[in-house]
Amino acid sequence: MKKNAISEPKTPLFDRIFKPQPITLPNGHTVLRPRSRTPLICALVLLALGLSIQVTGFDLSAIMRRANQLTKILGQIFRPDPSFFEKVTGPLMDTIKMSVMGSVIGCLLALPYAVAASANINKSAPLLALLRFLLNIVRTLPTLVIASICALIFGLGTFAGTVAIVVFTFGVVTKMLYESIETVNMGAFEALESAGANKFQAFWSAVFPQILPTYLSHCLYSFEMNVRAASILGYVGAGGLGILIDERIGWRDYNGLGTVLLTLFVAVLLIENLSQFLRSKLS
Amino acid sequence: MQYANHILEKYEARPRKWRLYTLIVLIMALLLTWSGSSITFKGFAAKGTEVAKGIFWGLVKPDLSMIFNTTTDGVPYLLMETVCIAILGTVVGGILALPFSFLASPKIMPKPVAFVFNALILLIRTLPSIVWALIWIRVTGPGAFCGVITQSICSIGMISKMYMTAIADLDTSILESLDAAGCTAFQKVRYGIIPQLTPNIISTVIYRFDINIKDATTLGIVGAGGIGAALIQCINSRRWTMVGSFILAMIVLMLVIEFASTRIRAKLARGQ
Amino acid sequence: MIEFKHVSKTYPNGVKGLKDVSLQFEQGEFVAIIGLSGAGKSTLIRTINRMIDITEGELTVDGTDVMKLSGKSLRRFRRKIGMIFQSFNLVTRATALKNVLTSMVPDMSFVRVLLGLFTREQKLSALAALDKVGILDKAYIRCDQLSGGQQQRVALARTLNQNPSIILADEPVAALDPVTAHQVMADFERINEEMGITILINIHHVDLALGYAQRVVGIRAGEIVYDGPSSEVTQDILDSIYNGSAVPQAGGN
Repeated sequence: MKKNAISEPKTPLFDRIFKPQPITLPNGHTVLRPRSRTPLICALVLLALGLSIQVTGFDLSAIMRRANQLTKILGQIFRPDPSFFEKVTGPLMDTIKMSVMGSVIGCLLALPYAVAASANINKSAPLLALLRFLLNIVRTLPTLVIASICALIFGLGTFAGTVAIVVFTFGVVTKMLYESIETVNMGAFEALESAGANKFQAFWSAVFPQILPTYLSHCLYSFEMNVRAASILGYVGAGGLGILIDERIGWRDYNGLGTVLLTLFVAVLLIENLSQFLRSKLS
Repeated sequence: MQYANHILEKYEARPRKWRLYTLIVLIMALLLTWSGSSITFKGFAAKGTEVAKGIFWGLVKPDLSMIFNTTTDGVPYLLMETVCIAILGTVVGGILALPFSFLASPKIMPKPVAFVFNALILLIRTLPSIVWALIWIRVTGPGAFCGVITQSICSIGMISKMYMTAIADLDTSILESLDAAGCTAFQKVRYGIIPQLTPNIISTVIYRFDINIKDATTLGIVGAGGIGAALIQCINSRRWTMVGSFILAMIVLMLVIEFASTRIRAKLARGQ
Repeated sequence: MIEFKHVSKTYPNGVKGLKDVSLQFEQGEFVAIIGLSGAGKSTLIRTINRMIDITEGELTVDGTDVMKLSGKSLRRFRRKIGMIFQSFNLVTRATALKNVLTSMVPDMSFVRVLLGLFTREQKLSALAALDKVGILDKAYIRCDQLSGGQQQRVALARTLNQNPSIILADEPVAALDPVTAHQVMADFERINEEMGITILINIHHVDLALGYAQRVVGIRAGEIVYDGPSSEVTQDILDSIYNGSAVPQAGGN
């Protein structure tokens, strides 16, 4: 029994601290029952929750006290101001235009980068590590931070917003794409290399047809997200609906806000359904 | 080279797809010209290049004193605050999502009730979390608590949707065998349903936690606490070395959480 | 003519794939290479078109020293050597015709490859290749709709379309049922006889090897333990290839 425990490849730390409990059956055989991890996990979660409540000043009574404020705001939001609608269409179109342009450019840039960042195509470990590192930096920056920096660099307006969407799309699509490329069956690639094709020819003729539907699906998915992301960029001055949202809340015109949100809701819903329809056609 | 007739015939019978391709290219061209119509590059803003340089050098040479500063303005505390917002937001959201997922499933609830709750879930999912934060700030005032409430609400949408798929995917044949063994309704739920659901629920919550960490950094920008609030202040006051240290800290935090979340979820899916 | 002179292959992890192998294959031979899995069959075949680099010795194909090739010259060299794989290695999402056409890709300009533009002549030649292996009627059907035997024939057509003088086949029938395996082997035999293409085939079905190939090479732990006509292979020789302790008097040398 003891021999067994040693010959195990690697005993997890937990089982070394809390030794498994041997159970002996009436016929003399023994089994080791590992100690349950649930109590430890529960204790850790409770500890984290306690700390979080302390740090964030979590206080449900504050909501109760201000509940009438909330109902007032929500009540007004759910009674949208129809006359405000004509002022919404312009920024809404800007938002959609930024997402279309940003998605297309971002997705195009993502393709070569994702190929270079795939471990099964790029065999150079240091280059791969560098590419992944740069990608991780770009990918983890929140869109709003990118947008506010772009607004400082390119000035306020839709151009800054588009750049932010490009960067955001690039990060998301590249990550999803290189993960798909790495799961592709490389047999056809090998076959083409054995027939004398160079890396580009082999990739383009053997791997790309396999990932094309996934790639297009990733692109459409990123476009869906981008409409939502682009709608808030205006908050930091990068054009689109966000300006209106910020402005309406600032003026406490919650009926107007209701109109903006309702429009956005309908637009996002339409685009999501269209994109999901196209994606279902792809697979 | 001469080819036999049957090969020429097969060649003539090839499927022709150029019409479809031309259509796709046309649509794309139209979309792009339309969207390009109001996006124009008007050159750099005054001092725009300076900003770019500042940020670049800020990232290369970040303000290290911020990283080891243990007061409430320092990077460690702000990161902890961000994590705390995400933890509470996820847990409260995960709990609130339980009744939602039952109320919204048309198999359990009457159709109108399920419809209303589905619409609510859709509304929550569709609107960006920043919008919710801006509304909640009016109720709770700025600060970390606003972030928690926002995330609790925003998490409901995705989590309850994933709960609903988990419930729909339940293997009910187990219930039959428990029935055959003479179990009561409670025993069936306890030993037939809960063991199937828990890994899914935990996995969903951890995944949402990963998303919420990323989201919490953004929420700070509108004043809902965490590292984002400090970051946007530094950007506006153009203290690039501090911006650099905040951004790098955020990147490290997100990558660590993402890595851990992927690992744990992979383990849950395999079943430890 | 393919000539191995004292060729060895040591993998980076220290595993010896080939040990001092000396062999000669004449143009137009049909050779089966048999042995246990892991004995070095795949390594032997893949060194010929340099999918695997050898570490010692000299390997020449029609007088060309394979290890001296690189980049463009290597790719041009590979054009005349076709390769067939156990798992077919097709682009399963593409039609049979498109798969055959990919063998033309190395000779095409960048723009044509990028846009996937093939000429009428190229398409006709690909269709003719499909006809040679008897699956012309499947030309416009996606490969994932085809059976294993049909997929292997598409792969064969792709290789034929490249006009090779040598075909290397790495376990081409291992994934097929016995009846289909016989059909594919018969295809190889016909191609060998009609076009005079050298065929080297890795196979672990002894019956198929002896039934179709003219010459058999037995390999064990990276060493050649038998090389001779398939008609002279006896049970003793097979025993020595597959589990024998003593190396018997090799027939061919």
